[in-house]
Amino acid sequence: MNVQFKKGVLELCVLVLTAGRDRYGYELVASISEKFHIAEGSVYPLLRRLTQEGFFTTYLMESQEGPPRKYYHLTEQGRQYMNDLVLEWRIFNRGVNQIIGEGLGYDKA
Amino acid sequence: MTRREFMDELGSLLDELPDKERLDILADYTEHFLMGVKEGKSEHEIAEALGSPKALARELLAGYRIHEAESNASVGNMTRAIIATVSLGFFNLVFVLGPFMALIGVLIACFGVAVALLLAPVGMYAQYGFSAVSQERLLLLFGSMASIGLGGMMAVGLVGLTRWLYRLFLRYLQFNVQMIRGK
Repeated sequence: MNVQFKKGVLELCVLVLTAGRDRYGYELVASISEKFHIAEGSVYPLLRRLTQEGFFTTYLMESQEGPPRKYYHLTEQGRQYMNDLVLEWRIFNRGVNQIIGEGLGYDKA
Repeated sequence: MTRREFMDELGSLLDELPDKERLDILADYTEHFLMGVKEGKSEHEIAEALGSPKALARELLAGYRIHEAESNASVGNMTRAIIATVSLGFFNLVFVLGPFMALIGVLIACFGVAVALLLAPVGMYAQYGFSAVSQERLLLLFGSMASIGLGGMMAVGLVGLTRWLYRLFLRYLQFNVQMIRGK
């Protein structure tokens, strides 16, 4: 798949993935690239930016095996921002689906 | 590309960043490599999936510069942020530099008008001021006051406007950096 769209989508995915529990970078990259192909490295600049903007706090935690992991915790401000993005996405998604449906005549079937 | 090669290249490309920032970034990618290896992937595979260090470095530098300009407003920081964003590709050259030049042009023109209004009374007085009859003197006085008042308000407004545009333009830079690169 040729992915060339706005990172807003990636941002949304990262925020939503951390909504339930704190996650570390590799985990986030893995869950996203399982669904669509991205240049995996660019998740990290995104995480840095979201942290700088106060949407995440980070902490290091030792793991039994492997290196210590940097965990990302969604802040209250981040949660608010995520909710806004999810709402925007839903509206956008519904609009596009309607247009596709009308254009391809699914709704007449 | 092995982990070593990837990290060396990324490290040298991020040379201009402060040590703390650079090491923190490198630590993120090192962690990524170690986790991947633990899951049984080869270093080559991992490096391949991460994308080119060059593209990553450009993105990281642009992110850093924009953040700097945000937390520390100055002409120099804005210039560096713009240069870093423009270096991301031709698209940004057109869509960043173009609007920026236009914006600067308009701002300079407006400041020019404000300065002209503030200085106009000097000219008025130089030409007619002290020889004028009393009625004209009054006219000159009010004219000067109006001109200075208008120019002053405009200058104050413009300073506010410049600050606002500065932040707005940074948002716009941010927006331009955010293109997902796939493969």
